[in-house]
Amino acid sequence: MPTFGALELPTVVDRLATVRDLDTEAWSLPGAEILQLAFEVPRGTEALLPRAMHPAIPPYATVWVIRYPESPVGPFTLAQLRLMGRAGAHPRGLVLGAVASTAEAATALRERWGLPAVPGRVTFTRRHDRITATVIRDGATVLDCALIDPEPISGGDVQYIHSVTLAHAPLDGTTAPRLLQVDSRYTFKKAERGRPDVGLLVAPAWGAGQLRLLNPIAATATWVDTDLPRIRFVMDPEIPVVRGTRRIRESREE
Amino acid sequence: MKFGLFYEISVPRPWTRESERTVYQNALEQVQLADELGFDQVWAVEHHFLEEYSHCPAPELFLTACAMITKKIRVGHGIVICVPEFNHPIKIAERTAVLDILSGGRLEVGTGRSATWTELGGFRANPDTTKKSWDEFVRCLPKMWTQETFAYDGEFWSMPERTIVPKVYQRPHPPLWVAVTSPGTELDAADRGLGSLGLTFGQFAEQEKRIAEYRRRIRNCEPVGAFVNDQVSTVNFLYCHEDDATGRATGRRMADTFNYLASQLISAREAFPSRSYQSLGLLPQLRRQATGPDATEQAGEGLAFGGPQRVLHALKRWEAVGVDRVNFLMNAMEVIPQADVLASLRLFAKEVMPAFADDKVA
Repeated sequence: MPTFGALELPTVVDRLATVRDLDTEAWSLPGAEILQLAFEVPRGTEALLPRAMHPAIPPYATVWVIRYPESPVGPFTLAQLRLMGRAGAHPRGLVLGAVASTAEAATALRERWGLPAVPGRVTFTRRHDRITATVIRDGATVLDCALIDPEPISGGDVQYIHSVTLAHAPLDGTTAPRLLQVDSRYTFKKAERGRPDVGLLVAPAWGAGQLRLLNPIAATATWVDTDLPRIRFVMDPEIPVVRGTRRIRESREE
Repeated sequence: MKFGLFYEISVPRPWTRESERTVYQNALEQVQLADELGFDQVWAVEHHFLEEYSHCPAPELFLTACAMITKKIRVGHGIVICVPEFNHPIKIAERTAVLDILSGGRLEVGTGRSATWTELGGFRANPDTTKKSWDEFVRCLPKMWTQETFAYDGEFWSMPERTIVPKVYQRPHPPLWVAVTSPGTELDAADRGLGSLGLTFGQFAEQEKRIAEYRRRIRNCEPVGAFVNDQVSTVNFLYCHEDDATGRATGRRMADTFNYLASQLISAREAFPSRSYQSLGLLPQLRRQATGPDATEQAGEGLAFGGPQRVLHALKRWEAVGVDRVNFLMNAMEVIPQADVLASLRLFAKEVMPAFADDKVA
């Protein structure tokens, strides 16, 4: 069998978000701009991955910065660091850390989807030869990254991997750490690809231990209509997902 | 219809000192038996870094060993990766020529370009250009095998005039194939007069459509080699057992194991968006079959496991949709004991193969 994650759950429970309930309504998020940078990361990252999941071969991480011009809590920008892996047979990105540009957005994302979001300053800047993003928390820069030399590609070539969040979530009358699948949809309007560059990533600020970004893979920037959906799948973080997954509703629309 | 074996060389953890050797030795024993039983071909993949899924980075060595312990069975590269970071084309021409000589003219050469970031990234190959480099390689290879001297100046490689020796044993040269996983690649094969070495499983209707288009297109091809290899090969699982239920359950376990392992790989497109890898290819299909809504009896359409009659019926369906060859995966992570794999081969040869020997109708 493929190897599994090795996260010691007690070491992270204190900083997990707490989901209000698993009945949150979906958010429609039109006109979003997504900057994604993918890097291979060293072996050993399985210590950050719940035992329910398999590490990717090779392990890799994605930096995601998304500018949402419209949302139920107003415009905001969200930066995330995701460790990519497998939930059973499916590629998924575990959200290690997230920073939202407004306190309202951070609260809503924590309570509704279990994102470990905290408020901070997030910039998303488009220049002729690069798209840059920075994240500042408590006066310190914790991320400085860029897509260099963007070139047009087809949106059909881009495949965004669904996220999973690890959060305290209520189910059957018990609130406990659970993995929640956040499987957003994307309608691509425009896409670009370029070279990923991360000048600074303060890994501990993202709940990522001493994670280092190594071999750059690719960077993309897209314009999409997207959403944050109703939660359908809830997983026990300590049991392989093929045995520990619970479907709590049949469809995203239900 | 001809039958063959197909090897990924899947090695389960923990990797002990002997475990990889055991898997290779088991495979060689199976090939030796298959040769005696009348199977026509054995194919081996070229994969790198694919933990547990495939420990077969040097198929030419495995195939040479196969050739040395058998008499008739043909040996096939399924495939050799035609990307310069993986294999220099001169070395491909030389290695394959030596294998053709050592096997007494039993070589088949499948070509391809890799479909995983795990491999492409490992060799620091550019996913954008693999199709182009493959195209260059397959156009050069027959000339390198057959011309007295060869010189080339292309986009991906070049060489001054030299005599590439030795020459292949077969005349004019071994049959050439293309690995076909993504829809449309069978047309690339047809346009170049190459065999379609299908590496996807199941689904008669879809395959029938693609085979028909391949046959139509290859009639007007411009062959890159000295002859047109108008053949369609597909891959299948094989587990044949006297008891149909046992055969189906064991075969399903093997298929599920294989699909689950395959789904752990990082497809090129997952990590590196590129026009060169527009299709999601084989992996999403295998993911659905491993755990999704397709993980049902329907996912077993056309799969060769069960009792002899069920296996025969499935293969007759493949024959009817136009498949010329079926190559079987017979294990994954050694979930089936070696004795049972050998028994399955014997039963298949006794009860199923004769029905295909001379166009008999089942």
